[in-house]
Amino acid sequence: MPDIVQNILILILASYATLDNQGITIINYWPVTVGLIAGLIMGDMHTAMVIAGTFQLMSLGVAGLGGASVPDYGLATIVGSFLAIRTGSGIATAVAVGLPVGLLAIQFDVIIKLANNFIAHKAQAYAHQKEFDKMRMINWLGPFFFALKNFIPMIVVVTVGPTAVKAILSIIPQWIMNGLTIAGGMLPVVGLGMLMHYMPTKKYVSYIIVGFVFAAYLKVPVFGVALLGLAAAIVIFQQGMKTANAKKAQVDAMTVTNDQPQGDDYDE
Amino acid sequence: MSKEVVKTDQPTKLTKRERHSAILRYMTMGVNNFNYETQQGPSVVWAFSKVLRKIYPKDDEYVEALDNHFKYFNTTTVMANIILGATLAMEEKDGIKSKDAVQSLKTSLMGPFAGIGDTLIWVLLPTIMGSIAGYMALQGNPTGAIAWILVDIVLFWLRLKLFDLGYDSGVKLVTTLGDRLSVFTEASSVMGLTVVGALVATAVKVQTPLTFMTGKVKLAMQTGVLDKIMPALLPAAVAYLVYRLLGSKKWTPTRVIVLLLVLSLLGAFTGILGVAN
Repeated sequence: MPDIVQNILILILASYATLDNQGITIINYWPVTVGLIAGLIMGDMHTAMVIAGTFQLMSLGVAGLGGASVPDYGLATIVGSFLAIRTGSGIATAVAVGLPVGLLAIQFDVIIKLANNFIAHKAQAYAHQKEFDKMRMINWLGPFFFALKNFIPMIVVVTVGPTAVKAILSIIPQWIMNGLTIAGGMLPVVGLGMLMHYMPTKKYVSYIIVGFVFAAYLKVPVFGVALLGLAAAIVIFQQGMKTANAKKAQVDAMTVTNDQPQGDDYDE
Repeated sequence: MSKEVVKTDQPTKLTKRERHSAILRYMTMGVNNFNYETQQGPSVVWAFSKVLRKIYPKDDEYVEALDNHFKYFNTTTVMANIILGATLAMEEKDGIKSKDAVQSLKTSLMGPFAGIGDTLIWVLLPTIMGSIAGYMALQGNPTGAIAWILVDIVLFWLRLKLFDLGYDSGVKLVTTLGDRLSVFTEASSVMGLTVVGALVATAVKVQTPLTFMTGKVKLAMQTGVLDKIMPALLPAAVAYLVYRLLGSKKWTPTRVIVLLLVLSLLGAFTGILGVAN
């Protein structure tokens, strides 16, 4: 694929992926899924996937819940794969350039969500004026801004990125490149650490140990360990349902006297 | 669909196609026009404006209904489908009289539904799929990524079904679903944590190229000492350190990332840490 076509497609990917993530979620914005598309565009699936895998594992547990702004690993993957493949350098470039871009992109996220406040008020004002088409139309500004959020950094990377990165790579000492590659190997731990804080780790720490032993000592692949975890999950689900049903039966028995059919008459 | 004269007292029946087009609009917009004040409110309005117009042919009632939906609303978009299915059925049946019931159903369910939905959709699914696909990707293998997109397509179909479920069974189902789902969440956390244990051992790469000279025998720190104590000892140690750091208020994820970058560079400079192979 000629460079110019790749540039255009990668710009479209960057602009679209964030909208997909916040809406229809088919490709979504996971490093591996956008990395897959980036790899197809750039014609080097192996490099794209290695970079995507690194960022994917970093991003585990870093969920943008309740509208929180989180590091933009999706954009980091697109920037990283583009530069690494175009300049023929490896994961070190992806970490060195992709990660800062991803961390900076969060700032724009906040600005857009503030701007959307005004759009929301404007839309409601249109509703009050009975201008219902305008009310709908103005809501396209939100997605437009979000697409722009990725388009702007991406066009900078696409236009000046490869030359700049090549120039820097030629003067950068080897130990820095090694350091960045080491960081790429170590950084997935951040996502895992965050995940452990989100999940009931203290209660179920034994399952972490089980997973570790099967992978580290017995060399069972991750999917095999996941199946093991599924087995444990099924047992816990069955026991949990038994307890929940028993509790419910107890409550039902106690409230049987004043049991009124409820739920259908929600209009009163 | 035949054009008939709308009798204002008669509840308007929406076709399945109209209902689905409304929820598809919502699923497409999602949080793409998210704002800090009313969050997903405008998204719901944008998505349902057309079906609501059909339910409320009178302008005044229509504006009143729109204002009702412009209010604060935020939950996991997947779970919102159930709520919005139920509220649409309510509005279709009772019109503007249902206004307060619609609002209270939305506000009372969005919190608990977000707790369950965020855990399942934005934490557990990405943990399990992300770790499997991410680990495959590290070896240059795109199979996991492709599988994930297929999972997303199944999920897309499931989201439509959730909307239908909310619409068909209304408030009744919505209130009884909670118990089952929280047990489900707990069970899937166990699966997630088992995978996390495996990932500490396999996905985190830390190793040292240091060697010791004892007499004339060269002893490699990594293979000769650390691996003998426990495989993946250094990754486990780093994981524990990061877990503890993240537990303190002072250490944000970004700071931890910067710390690890600095440690890696120092390690590379001094030769204590080496590139994993």
